[in-house]
Amino acid sequence: MRRYIIEREVPGAGNLSQEELANIAQISNEAVASLGVPYTWVNSFVAGDKIYCVHEAEDAETILEHARRGGFPANLVTEVASEFGPHTAGVLAG
Amino acid sequence: MSLAYAEPVALLEREHELGVLQTTITTAVAGEGSGVALSGDSGAGKSTLLAAATDDAGSARVLRGACDPLSTPRPLGPFRDVAPDLGLGRLHLDEGAPLAVVCEEVFEALRTEPTVLVVEDLHWVDAASAEVLRFLARRLDGVPVALLVSYRPHETDAGHVARPLLGDFARLDGLTTLELGPLSVVSVADLVTGTPLDAASVHALTGGNPFFVTEVAKDPDRPLPASVRDAVLARAADVSPDDFEVLQLVATAPDRLDDRVLPALGVDLPTLRRLDTTGLLTRTRGGLAFRHELARQAVESTIPPGGGASLHARLLEALETIDLPEPAVLTHHALAAHDAARTTRYAQAAAAEAIRAASHSEAAAFFQIALDQLAEDAPDAERARLLQSLSFEQYMVSRLDEAIANIRATFPLWERVGDVAGLADAHQTCATYEYYNARRHEAEAQADAAADIAGSAGATLSYGAARAARGFMAYMRSDTDLALACVEEVDRTAGTLPGPLALKNEMVRDLSDLVRGQEDARGRIADLIDNARSHRWDELASTGYSQLVNLDVEHRRLRSAEHVLEASLPFTVDREIPICRHWQTGVRARLRFFQGRWNAAAEDAERVLDEKGMPIARVWPHLVSALVPLRTGTPASLPHLDHAWALAGRIDEPLRVLPVLSALAERMWMSGETDRRVTEDGVRELERLTGAPGSEWAVGELGSWLLRLGLVEKLPAPVAEPYRLAGEGRYDEAAARWHALGEPFAEAMTLGDAPDPGPRVRGVELLDRLGAIGTADRRRIELRNDGVAQVPQRPRASTRANPSGLTNRQLDVAKLVARGFTNAEIASRLFISPKTADHHVSAVLTKLGLPNRRAVVLRADELGLS
Repeated sequence: MRRYIIEREVPGAGNLSQEELANIAQISNEAVASLGVPYTWVNSFVAGDKIYCVHEAEDAETILEHARRGGFPANLVTEVASEFGPHTAGVLAG
Repeated sequence: MSLAYAEPVALLEREHELGVLQTTITTAVAGEGSGVALSGDSGAGKSTLLAAATDDAGSARVLRGACDPLSTPRPLGPFRDVAPDLGLGRLHLDEGAPLAVVCEEVFEALRTEPTVLVVEDLHWVDAASAEVLRFLARRLDGVPVALLVSYRPHETDAGHVARPLLGDFARLDGLTTLELGPLSVVSVADLVTGTPLDAASVHALTGGNPFFVTEVAKDPDRPLPASVRDAVLARAADVSPDDFEVLQLVATAPDRLDDRVLPALGVDLPTLRRLDTTGLLTRTRGGLAFRHELARQAVESTIPPGGGASLHARLLEALETIDLPEPAVLTHHALAAHDAARTTRYAQAAAAEAIRAASHSEAAAFFQIALDQLAEDAPDAERARLLQSLSFEQYMVSRLDEAIANIRATFPLWERVGDVAGLADAHQTCATYEYYNARRHEAEAQADAAADIAGSAGATLSYGAARAARGFMAYMRSDTDLALACVEEVDRTAGTLPGPLALKNEMVRDLSDLVRGQEDARGRIADLIDNARSHRWDELASTGYSQLVNLDVEHRRLRSAEHVLEASLPFTVDREIPICRHWQTGVRARLRFFQGRWNAAAEDAERVLDEKGMPIARVWPHLVSALVPLRTGTPASLPHLDHAWALAGRIDEPLRVLPVLSALAERMWMSGETDRRVTEDGVRELERLTGAPGSEWAVGELGSWLLRLGLVEKLPAPVAEPYRLAGEGRYDEAAARWHALGEPFAEAMTLGDAPDPGPRVRGVELLDRLGAIGTADRRRIELRNDGVAQVPQRPRASTRANPSGLTNRQLDVAKLVARGFTNAEIASRLFISPKTADHHVSAVLTKLGLPNRRAVVLRADELGLS
């Protein structure tokens, strides 16, 4: 499976309550379950008027299908090329 | 969105249409908005053509809204589709904003950047969307918007809600209608080249319908399918039964299958991928839909009898799981699923939504559905309230007969539940509808019944309302004694009145004073209207305007009437009070008629009659429609006079009966054909109604015609001043009074009544200048018979300037020119482009026969434009 970053424009997203987020999560889970193909919702970050999600699927089309079924916007879908962090600096030392 | 058939194929013989659409888009992007309506049968290629044209829309944004084949459409459906792209959220209709606000919002959002707005399938449009589109279509000038719509001509017959809009496309500058005809045999031959198919037989089979032809050509190896249904179904031949059921589900959702219901329906992604290979489906507007309506119908036709209900039930349950499903869609499915309880519930929600969108015809349709599906053992009060709501919405769209039948049906229900106030109010509502339906006697009986019921039960407020209604009707028939007695009674017996009732009562008092000739009541009425407006008692304010302006015209305060209409018509249109809009438009027709502005008068009259205005509002339009042709010398329309006469008999009010008799008398004078309605009723009614409050002008007019016909020997008294002067033989003074009042036709007739040849010749010249050639010819004959030597020649139509020929719009422009405004200033005042203003000014100058705008300013007074 490939990993994707999805940018969703949701005006006022930062003000969503825990209950609202729970509701969205439930809709999203149902959409994932309905796809009938491998799909993993890794996690999501709410920031200002946007929500950034990390999902795994076979292709971007499936990411869009999930968004349609959930009624979510998917303004930008980008495949993750690689991941790194502080530990990555260790590669040089090696 | 991709398409059902390859574009180069389907675009055969559409080069011209494509060119027109592309030019429309290009000029719109450059800032000069315009619109095109595409007319064509199902499969004619409307969608394909629109898609091809918008493919190269350049930098312009392309917005698509669709109308859906729901039995009762979603209010503002296409605008809900485009609202998010316009940054309008869910539109303010959910907050109950008047339609005018939605119109403005959409317009303002569209004009911010070059935009192509495509609205397909207008044959399924809802009334509110049709209004918004009309609003937009009339304001495209000078804004960077191309409005492209499509419709099937055979499904938009007279009376269809899209008709006025399609009429605009046919008539207005900057708007065009394109018809997509069938393909020729030659093009069909192109499409079937390389197949064993015979072009002529394919052409015969498909009627040249591009969609049918392409479907047939796609699978040439099969024997020629007998119908397009077979051609479509052949493409799904290899689909498994389970997958085919998904196709049937999509076919059951007439608009589109909302993507959000796919989880609840258990439709997974692999299923969609398999179905994609059939090429029948497409993803659009947040849902799954057939690429073509014909394909949907073909699949729908495979659903066995009785199978539809369970598919609808599945869709309904799935839709209930998502956020904010549209009640119109839920109603559609609940009804088809034979789920009566849900249908009633959702239909009422859909009606409420339609009311918020000011889609009253849809609201009525939903209430009717709710009522039809209401359980037999539902409480009487619930049924009565539904009937009442239905009745009101029917009244709002001028379906008075049904409104009356339904409000009457509540009587026994209110009685059974013992709700006296409900019963009295229902009778009073019935009285109002009956009155608008021009059945005054029945209306009075209903108002009396309401008062009796409320009075005997001590329901003082309902009693007061009923008596106030009765007082209003008494005022209308010039029975000011009774009107004022009702007013006093309401004041006395109803205790502290709620604001609107107190104001209405006060209004009846002041109107009665005004009809009796107390002109200072005008100011009081104007104050009451302002007061009503500030409280948002819109119907009261509008009623005040309607009555004030009607009395102003009746009593020849024509300038005042002009001012009232300038304020009242926009208000009444904005607040959507149908009876008052039609009434005031009818009064304006009569005003323009008095002013000798025949074209503008006829235009207003035609509008009220075309829009099926309520009977009470049709009297002036019928008179104007009958008399304008008579005076201008074009063939007169006799049925209009008969309609007016029938209405006058039912209304039986002096201020309606007298003018209708005058019109009949005028026609008799023009044609020389004896009309017993004039020789008998006319003479009798003149005598009976002389002296009725407020009738001095109407009596003077009828008297003058009967005098010309030799049916009376002298004018009765009292009559209004110009008539009295003429009656005393002071024709010049009388004519001068008419001139000052701004009624040139009456001026000319008065001159013509004089014994001396001098004024009579001047009268004919004035009639000629007014374009009243028919009347002038009649006078010419009299002059020749009397041996007058210098009879003015009949003017040749082509050489005469004709101020009476201005339309209402040109009249607006002419008045601004007369006040010295530049084209740019006129453009900004009338919300049109400078180019269009320029165009109107040229037309005005031509019609007035004047060389330049300076001449208009100099002659403004004489032309009645100041």
